[in-house]
Amino acid sequence: MRHIKPWLAVKRWTLFRIDDRLLLIVIAVIVGNFSGLASVVLNRSIETMVEWLTPLRANWWAFLLPGAGAAASSLFLDKIMREGAGHGVPEVIYAVSRHGGLLRFRSSFSRLISSCLTIGSGGSAGPEAPVVISGAAIGSTIARKFALNDRQRVTLVGCGAAAGISSIFNAPIAGMVFAVEVILGEWKALNIIPVAIASVAGTEISRLLQGNQIAFTHRTFNIHFVDILASIGLAVAAAGSAVLLTRMLRFMAKLCSHSAGPTWLRAAAGGCAVGLIAVALPDVLGEGYAPTRIMINGAFTTGLAFVSITLLAKISATALTLGWGGSGGIFAPCLAIGSLLGLSFQRALVLAWPAAGLANEGCFALLGMAGLISGMLQAPLTGIFLIVEITGGYDVILPLIIVSVISTTMCHYFEPASYYLHELVERGQLLRPGTDARVLSDMSVMEVIEKDCIAVPPDMRLREFTQIISISHRNYFPVEDPATGRFLGMIYLDDIRPYLFDPVMYDAVVMGEIMNTDIETVRPDDDLTDVLNKMDRKKLFSMPVVNNQRFLGMISKATLLDRYRRELAVQTS
Amino acid sequence: MDKSLFHIFRNTPLGRETLLQSIYFCKTVGAYPMIYIPTTTKFLMYFENDVVQVDLDDTYLTSPQTARTHAAQLVEQAGIKPVFFTPKHYTASTLPDIPTHFDFMCCPRSISDLSNKIGLGYIGPRVRRVVQAAPFPVLIPSPAFKEWKSITVFFGGSANAVNALRLGINLGRATGMDLNVFTQVGRRKVDYYEKVIADSGLEKDVQRYVKNWQRFESGKFRENLYEVPHDALVVLGAFGHGLIRDFIFGSKMEMIQSTVTNSMLIVGPNYVARL
Repeated sequence: MRHIKPWLAVKRWTLFRIDDRLLLIVIAVIVGNFSGLASVVLNRSIETMVEWLTPLRANWWAFLLPGAGAAASSLFLDKIMREGAGHGVPEVIYAVSRHGGLLRFRSSFSRLISSCLTIGSGGSAGPEAPVVISGAAIGSTIARKFALNDRQRVTLVGCGAAAGISSIFNAPIAGMVFAVEVILGEWKALNIIPVAIASVAGTEISRLLQGNQIAFTHRTFNIHFVDILASIGLAVAAAGSAVLLTRMLRFMAKLCSHSAGPTWLRAAAGGCAVGLIAVALPDVLGEGYAPTRIMINGAFTTGLAFVSITLLAKISATALTLGWGGSGGIFAPCLAIGSLLGLSFQRALVLAWPAAGLANEGCFALLGMAGLISGMLQAPLTGIFLIVEITGGYDVILPLIIVSVISTTMCHYFEPASYYLHELVERGQLLRPGTDARVLSDMSVMEVIEKDCIAVPPDMRLREFTQIISISHRNYFPVEDPATGRFLGMIYLDDIRPYLFDPVMYDAVVMGEIMNTDIETVRPDDDLTDVLNKMDRKKLFSMPVVNNQRFLGMISKATLLDRYRRELAVQTS
Repeated sequence: MDKSLFHIFRNTPLGRETLLQSIYFCKTVGAYPMIYIPTTTKFLMYFENDVVQVDLDDTYLTSPQTARTHAAQLVEQAGIKPVFFTPKHYTASTLPDIPTHFDFMCCPRSISDLSNKIGLGYIGPRVRRVVQAAPFPVLIPSPAFKEWKSITVFFGGSANAVNALRLGINLGRATGMDLNVFTQVGRRKVDYYEKVIADSGLEKDVQRYVKNWQRFESGKFRENLYEVPHDALVVLGAFGHGLIRDFIFGSKMEMIQSTVTNSMLIVGPNYVARL
């Protein structure tokens, strides 16, 4: 046992400790494979569930199926996994921002099962966000097993997310760009290399098990100047739809939180509402890949009014599914809504200017998809590369860039934070590397505390105090009760300067009389952002740190700045 | 009183016993209780290299309107100013983050309302995870409040046991209570344990602070546990071995916690005691 034990402790394997970059690359392959596998499992599970339930869709009570799926999903998450509803991406970004990418192991499979129940039963949601949190949790768990540091763990969380997206869409570049743009928020070679490798590993696993399929094959499009002009209008429409979808999702979530009843019942209500919509418009069910494929191929034969109604219905169905407690992401619904929008837009233009000579409606469906994704995620590169990769061609790259960029910019105007980041920004928890908030959050009061202050008792006379001043290089002195050690107040050198030059006062003044008791204090667990704000507000340069009525030391702006610069250098090097 | 003990308050008679135990511990070792009155049934603890989700049962949310008053009353009766903890950060809206910078944490044997689980012989999985990951010792109180008058450290020669011994010496020094050491000699010789102590630089402290080092060279470990004073705080290391070894040979900590009724202070592999 004694000889075997060192081999069991993976974190001590010398092979991997030779070079940090090599270590990350090797582990990125492992993370990529597991994340890719998780995506394939989810994909296949959803397909199987849809297959099982399809014969039941002919029954009059089929509208209950999405409700049952959402309820089961909510019960599973709440009672078995003890996790909250939602897609989980903010949780990943929060872990990356504040806790060095630490994620619970259970997250590596919980969302896969719950989203399978929601989407497989007909809920309007996508499997991508669950795959992101699952891959990220796999990366975090593996990083813990190898006892990696925070920075390496964060990179592996990105690797997991990238591999998940790459695998599910068979799109390695989109996965890589998504992880860096949305999850990590930091474009550095240190991150990009392992993330790229994980993306390749994830894609390869997907290709090995499912074949090298392109999600949305299409025929060649001929793009003219008029299409590029039209794409500007489409971008505006995409931004409007993205804002509408974001606000609908938020409205439904708010409505749900104010409703009575257990969470599973609310999820069931949302699911049943989707089921009722699907009685008239079955295209709103599930992730919506099938109708999207038809639209891209230009074979969606229904008229403009019907397409527009389906567009609104899909937005409502997605908001009802996710807002009321179903499990899943917004990626796939965005693709479906985007393609419906593109189609509607193209048909409306053709109706208005029949002789304009626009490209085929499949092209506009693609552009709509990019516009919606870019707008919702406020991540233009992800939108561009995803559409390029999942359609297997660069024909539409120019209008694609225009739509993505304009849609992102416009959405940012109405919704300053993307759908994924909104909650974090609202709570002040979006801490991107190298930003002021992140640097301060990575430091603690106890790291910058100065402990070389000399405490004095309240009954000390000024004469004795002058001797203390002569040996101290500080301008402030805490006053403590010698019996209990309680912090009573502070003496600032500036406050007693008038007495210092009057020897008559030396025996007349005691510290308890002249100490300052109305002082702002800091607790050891206070956030440095709050401490600095307090200092600015009160125009202070230093403050005493007090815990449970005990003086621990002083915190000053000068020391804080010094430590801040060092931390910033570490984060940006 | 600059050390803190994190206590999750349960507003029930059982929770009262646990809080009384925490208060007594704090008064004895010169710490103060940091009381958390949960508003949700789960929270996360982010440790250095691990994250633990602690799932509480619904009894932790009993009568929230009286919980704070009840807790404050108990603490004030002991002459301590109550300090309440309010989470600042949330991983999700119903999932607060609890910091891990405390010096001690109090956990019942199981974070559960089932009395058979709170009794002897069972330590809940979440409590295990907390002990395994925590950089602080975990106080597992006896089911009913009982004052302790001495300290008994279980010393088996492992790195965790050395940490436990260091902690025991610190507590002995802080409280002035008798410090006893309990060692089941087993297959090794007494010299081995003495050498471990000498190698750890604890020889002088052991001579100075340890009143009685009980070394059992015969008898079964479980039977010898009868010699542990009923009113002693038991300090021991846990999870120093891997899962495989514990699975095959069993764990000493499991045996102790399922046999003695004393309050226990458990030192996990991530706690580093300094003299």
